[in-house]
Amino acid sequence: MNLLGTVCCKSLDLIWVLLSGAEQEKLSSTEMVVQKIRVLVANRPRLMKDLVLATIGDQPDIEVVGETQDEAEITELVERTRPDYLIIALENPEARPGLSGFLLGRYPEMRILALAAERNSGIFYWAFVDIRSRHVESSEQGILSVLRNKAALVEI
Amino acid sequence: MVDLIEAVQVFILAENRLLREALTRILSKKNDIKVVGASAFAPDVVEQVCSAAPDVLLSDSAAVALSELRLVTEVRAAIPGLKVVMIGMDADQDTFLRAVRDGIVGFVLKDASAMEVATAVRAVANGEAVCPPSLCLGLFELVANQNTSPASFVIKHNLGLTRREQQLVHMISRGLTNKEIALQLNLSEQTVKNHVHRMLRKLGATDRFRAVEICRSPGAIA
Repeated sequence: MNLLGTVCCKSLDLIWVLLSGAEQEKLSSTEMVVQKIRVLVANRPRLMKDLVLATIGDQPDIEVVGETQDEAEITELVERTRPDYLIIALENPEARPGLSGFLLGRYPEMRILALAAERNSGIFYWAFVDIRSRHVESSEQGILSVLRNKAALVEI
Repeated sequence: MVDLIEAVQVFILAENRLLREALTRILSKKNDIKVVGASAFAPDVVEQVCSAAPDVLLSDSAAVALSELRLVTEVRAAIPGLKVVMIGMDADQDTFLRAVRDGIVGFVLKDASAMEVATAVRAVANGEAVCPPSLCLGLFELVANQNTSPASFVIKHNLGLTRREQQLVHMISRGLTNKEIALQLNLSEQTVKNHVHRMLRKLGATDRFRAVEICRSPGAIA
């Protein structure tokens, strides 16, 4: 779970302790809202976007907060939805997309998973002092592991 | 009373693991489609496909390329009646026409949706062909040119005719006499006769019109 999720969970624990018994019982009987992993999907080509959405769309702990195929819309969508993860298309895995550097500089809490349609690996970018990156397998398990922070990342 | 739908059996051949896994997931949700296998290219891929006995083979371009472009021909020979559909393709005319010549019945672009892939599976299983509108014109032109002007490369390659002899075939097919041909090509009538005589000998034709028929026959033109 990322830092934001951890803070939210600990806050919920504290709130739970401060509630009276009656209030706890009331909340127990209603459905607890679980903090989902919020993902923005911006993949090309269209078939690739559909495949990514099919992979994460059914997952109970993942919420798709937006989707686009138009690279020009990405910045605006990130600003509006503030996702935990952005999944984007990647033409050239050897060169970090300029957009990744820009977005991570502006939204350092967000993480980026870049996938290419013709390749079996993607690249996962995150900001930590500088921008770090790792290879990730382009598979359902690879993508879900990254989103759930459980990826077996291969160092570039 | 429940109507039993006979599901179309599909094998997915793709180098991209996400494509194999996610497309299997998507297609498996359709009650009229059943994914009977999914694999990356391997030396024994034809055997794998045969074992699964699919109705439709979905293949991406990478898998075909890895087989040195023989995959479609080999699987179709191994499984008569198998429908082959290329998916995730670029809108490239040459690639498309080469795939059509190999015997595919569906060509789905990378910009198609996953639902369109499912629609293509159903269409080809139903005896239809799937061709992007942007590539259809090339197909029409290819057929039109084959009927009026046999492909020079194929005639030369398959029948051993020189460029001049191919030219003569075309002019003879339009009904021109040796004299008329000579006038158009600025040659003597005797020279034209010599060319025609050589052409007839190469083709094993008894007369000039039989020569045209041979050049237009399906076996002469791949």
